[in-house]
Amino acid sequence: MSSSKLKTDVQEGTVRHEDTTAGPSTDPVLNQRLKAPRKGNPLPWQLVSALLAVVLIAVLWAGRSYQQPTAGVTAGISKSVSIGFRLAPANLDIRNQSGAALDQALIGNVYEGLVSRDQTNRVMPSLANSWEISEDATTYTFHLNPNLTFSNGDKLDAEDVAWSINQLMEHHYHDADQLQNFQSVKAIDKDHVQLQLTAPYANILWVLTGRAGLVFDRKAQYDPKTQAVGSGPYTVESFTPNSSLVLKANTRYWGRQHRAKTETLHLRYFADDNAAVNALKSQDIQVLAPITANLAAPFTKDTEHYSVHSGAGSDKYVLAFNNKGSKTSDMRVRQAIRYAINHQDLIDSRGGVDQPMGGPIPSVDPGYRDITNLYPHNPERAKRLMAQVGYTPDKPLTLRLTYPNTYGTELGDQLRSQLKPIGINLQLQVVEFSTWMQDVYTNHNYDLSLVDHSESHDFSQWTNPNYYYGYDSKVVRDLYAKAMAARKAEDTDHYLAQAAQQVSQDAPADWLFNYRITTVTLTGLRGFPLNLNQTLLNAWKISYSPDKPKTSGPAARALYDRPKWRSSDHATFLQYTIAG
Amino acid sequence: MRYLVRRIVLFILALWAISILIFASLRILPGDIATVMAGINSSPEQVAGLRLRLGLNRPLPAQYGSWLKDLVHGDFGFSMLTGRSISEQVAARASVTFPLVGLGIVLALVIGLTMGCLAVMARSTRLRSFCHMLALVAGSIPVLWGGLLLILLFSRGTGLIQIFPSQGFPDTGWRRPAEALQTMALPAATLGLVVGASITRYTRSALNDIAGSGWIDMARSCGMTRNQALMRVGLRLTLPQLVSVVGLTFAEMITGAMVVENLFALPGLGSGLITDIGNRDLIAVQSELFMLAAFFLVIGLIVDLLHRLLDPRLKESTVTGRGRS
Amino acid sequence: MWSTVEGRFALSILLVWVFMAVLSLVWTPQPLWATDGQQVWQKPSHNHWLGTDGTGADVFSWLMAGSATNLLICLLTVACAAALGILLIAATVSRSALVANTSIVLVDALISIPTVLIALILAVPLGASVVVIVLACGLGYGLNLARVARPQALLAARSDYVIAAQVSGASAGRILVSHILPNIMPVVAVQLSLSAGSSVLAESGLTYLGVGVSSGVPSWGHSLATSVKLINVYPLTALWPGLLVTLVVLSLNLFGDSIGDAIDPQSNSALREAA
Repeated sequence: MSSSKLKTDVQEGTVRHEDTTAGPSTDPVLNQRLKAPRKGNPLPWQLVSALLAVVLIAVLWAGRSYQQPTAGVTAGISKSVSIGFRLAPANLDIRNQSGAALDQALIGNVYEGLVSRDQTNRVMPSLANSWEISEDATTYTFHLNPNLTFSNGDKLDAEDVAWSINQLMEHHYHDADQLQNFQSVKAIDKDHVQLQLTAPYANILWVLTGRAGLVFDRKAQYDPKTQAVGSGPYTVESFTPNSSLVLKANTRYWGRQHRAKTETLHLRYFADDNAAVNALKSQDIQVLAPITANLAAPFTKDTEHYSVHSGAGSDKYVLAFNNKGSKTSDMRVRQAIRYAINHQDLIDSRGGVDQPMGGPIPSVDPGYRDITNLYPHNPERAKRLMAQVGYTPDKPLTLRLTYPNTYGTELGDQLRSQLKPIGINLQLQVVEFSTWMQDVYTNHNYDLSLVDHSESHDFSQWTNPNYYYGYDSKVVRDLYAKAMAARKAEDTDHYLAQAAQQVSQDAPADWLFNYRITTVTLTGLRGFPLNLNQTLLNAWKISYSPDKPKTSGPAARALYDRPKWRSSDHATFLQYTIAG
Repeated sequence: MRYLVRRIVLFILALWAISILIFASLRILPGDIATVMAGINSSPEQVAGLRLRLGLNRPLPAQYGSWLKDLVHGDFGFSMLTGRSISEQVAARASVTFPLVGLGIVLALVIGLTMGCLAVMARSTRLRSFCHMLALVAGSIPVLWGGLLLILLFSRGTGLIQIFPSQGFPDTGWRRPAEALQTMALPAATLGLVVGASITRYTRSALNDIAGSGWIDMARSCGMTRNQALMRVGLRLTLPQLVSVVGLTFAEMITGAMVVENLFALPGLGSGLITDIGNRDLIAVQSELFMLAAFFLVIGLIVDLLHRLLDPRLKESTVTGRGRS
Repeated sequence: MWSTVEGRFALSILLVWVFMAVLSLVWTPQPLWATDGQQVWQKPSHNHWLGTDGTGADVFSWLMAGSATNLLICLLTVACAAALGILLIAATVSRSALVANTSIVLVDALISIPTVLIALILAVPLGASVVVIVLACGLGYGLNLARVARPQALLAARSDYVIAAQVSGASAGRILVSHILPNIMPVVAVQLSLSAGSSVLAESGLTYLGVGVSSGVPSWGHSLATSVKLINVYPLTALWPGLLVTLVVLSLNLFGDSIGDAIDPQSNSALREAA
């Protein structure tokens, strides 16, 4: 051991400074000889460190001097606006590629449908300025606006409309199955299209506001994955998958009302929350949607520069139980889980903005009622139910929760904690979305699943026994059929509400919460839709007008001082609200 | 020469083995791109239609055969998801990753060589051991955490001293080099610091060994001071070893680069690869993995040959066991 | 090893680590599965020594439970690396020229493939799990070990006593165990302890990238990756796991250094550092 000590001293040179053997060599004799020439030339490392310091200072200086507001102007209306989003489209092929990110970016901006919807999820005119519905509610006649054109200059007429819908049905493009009871579509003349249904379908107009109603140029040749030719107020300038999409105002836009207010829109996609927040803080982007409520906290405090809003959405976090699974086919187990989950706890940990929901219909859809009282948080009752089935905390039932990795690990951990006391041992399996699609969605090989069903008007999934829930109820199917066959909106609403209540009672799933979208904007940004903006973003009215920088004000954060914008616009900011 | 021939034959065999490994392991995994593209509200008909259009119904050997044939011809195919040519896609991502890794390496070398030399040559024992300890500590920091610390210190928006952006890469790319370089600053610094620490340790120990060798005694007996001898003779003697160390470090750096790309939201090879795997864009993933593996095999080959070229003592040393490294 | 400051520091940290890991199997200050929506992102307090995370769970307890996972990964990786490395070394010193040369060239060729690439490929069929980390790191570090220990192994294989043993009819296995392994032991020990440190680092990186430890399993990488998301608002939570990893890796590296010194004072320090 003594030789090891010597060796260490030689190596480190820290332990015993007086030790004359300290030196670079393992040979003490040699080291002693090395001591002699103390006076030499100045060491080169001094030069090197001086150089390093110079380089460092230069880099720091460069970093400071290259900062410029991205908006490009300091007063008046900005010519470009940058918007930060979370979920990126992988390609632009809206007829094949799923995902809300595509709807958000393209529908109403680049592509337009026969009809559109507004901030309250109601159907509005778009390419068609009016329509007639026959007495038996099976024939819809749409009147197109005059002088419609695509961004490439091609005329848009009734033939294009009929062609688009026929292609959709023929090739089973995305959302084709939403166009239920479809019989035929044809162009009556240049400006009129007739859609024939086999039976009444109450959702038909709403469905046409989405992908199913989009009108494509039948003459244009382009690669739909990387380009887009539509009739909307914007055109696609450039697209980098998973990174950014640049929209430019369509100079040939046919309409007056929806003409783009901002010339260039940069849609930027951030896979990382922190990156997005930093982009907003450094004002590289002017809007960020969505941001988690927890991350928005610093912006909520800084009302001078930012405004934080929460908007309604149709995202439903569905904790599905495999209704045909060996363990979860017992209704008592499913009910116990519903009683055991503390929804308010989940919502609070996420920042407290999301809404509890007791059934399958979110507040923005027809048929919504507050039915959260059906399964209130009641761990005692849950425990009793589990005991009836024969499980206790000491002898727990093991269940597997499979969910995609996009939702983070927190929800799984929380559910596991909440189910533990009632005698359920929840095993978490966080998988890639593709694995989830295969195992859960296609093969129905799961106990519990958690996924965000973001689409609106999607109640029909509860009427499909082959859907991954494995839920089959004749009562619900009949009620849904009645709702869809109803001529009046009130009747539809009434029957849907009844159906939703029935679904909730049967406990085929638990609805953790209705996700509300938190949006942060810079003061001075106007017209950004706050409701439903993850699936529908009418971008034409977005504009940004930074006011003159303040001449005086409190010192900016740390060393770096950005121009500050006045907050006078804050009060006039248009804030939409529906459903609380 | 025999080593060279064997090395190249094995290089080609390894490439081929890797292509099979990649292809096979990607086919075992659950899920395919058609279901991912179709999404949650899709019908089986829609998925079937997509599968047909994407050519996913062909038998596996046929798919492998055509992929390999294209590879040999230098054609990496088209991404099913983005519809772009994969070589183009990889080139775009490489234009982020290579400068990042390159800057990182340069920084690491500057830090590593300086600190390594200091740790051996500085006159004060305190400074020497300080350098050594600093390198030990810095080398123990996880890249992710190092990046976080730099963000907290220097990022625009969050940092204590707000000078560098901490997110994304400008759409304009390298056409505006100043902007692009700025976004590289923190990520490259993260890599450079962590890798620099390990280079410091290599340099230090290599120099220490040389310092105790006869070559330095020889140089000093010719009238050089100890530090002169170490700078002029010692560094040159450690060069071959450093080259292989840097080569290997380069390979290991890709792990760090992937973490850093994700943390700083840079659209590079690493973050792109992870997205593609998530989307089951198999043609893209297999080509990208293959290219990366091939790239690192080539690096390994070059480093090995360079090492032999730089160090004539090593001619047959691995076989005879006479060499020191 | 206890005689130096570094050695004492390293050894005590490692002992605390092992102790915590074992203790966490039976006791943690707060139960792991006790989330509380009202108590998220709390500052350190009497009840929660290092505060709480985004689910309201106790950070200290999770880090403690994570130490067990990390210790397991560390040990398994080292075992894998040792097995592969020694196998490759045995091939290198094999009397058959074909086996020896092939193994040399194989190691040289494969060593340049980064661990993360292997992990990504493995994670494709296996999913995120401890196994991915252990296999990927074990493979990478095993190759590394074989390469680093090669010169000494070859030197030993050509020494007079090995030749004497061969002449007297000892089997290849016996020669390997009783002559060659003891000779390369210092290098192997140092290399393995460095690998242990690297495996802790790799765990945090791979888990962040989504191919490491699966969700619901506590680990330092998991704690780091989940707290990264809110670094802007709650930087403190991300501080702890990072600090812990740094400390433990540093100790493992120092431990490696002192182990080398303790076993073999004449060891070539270049070999030791060539990780």
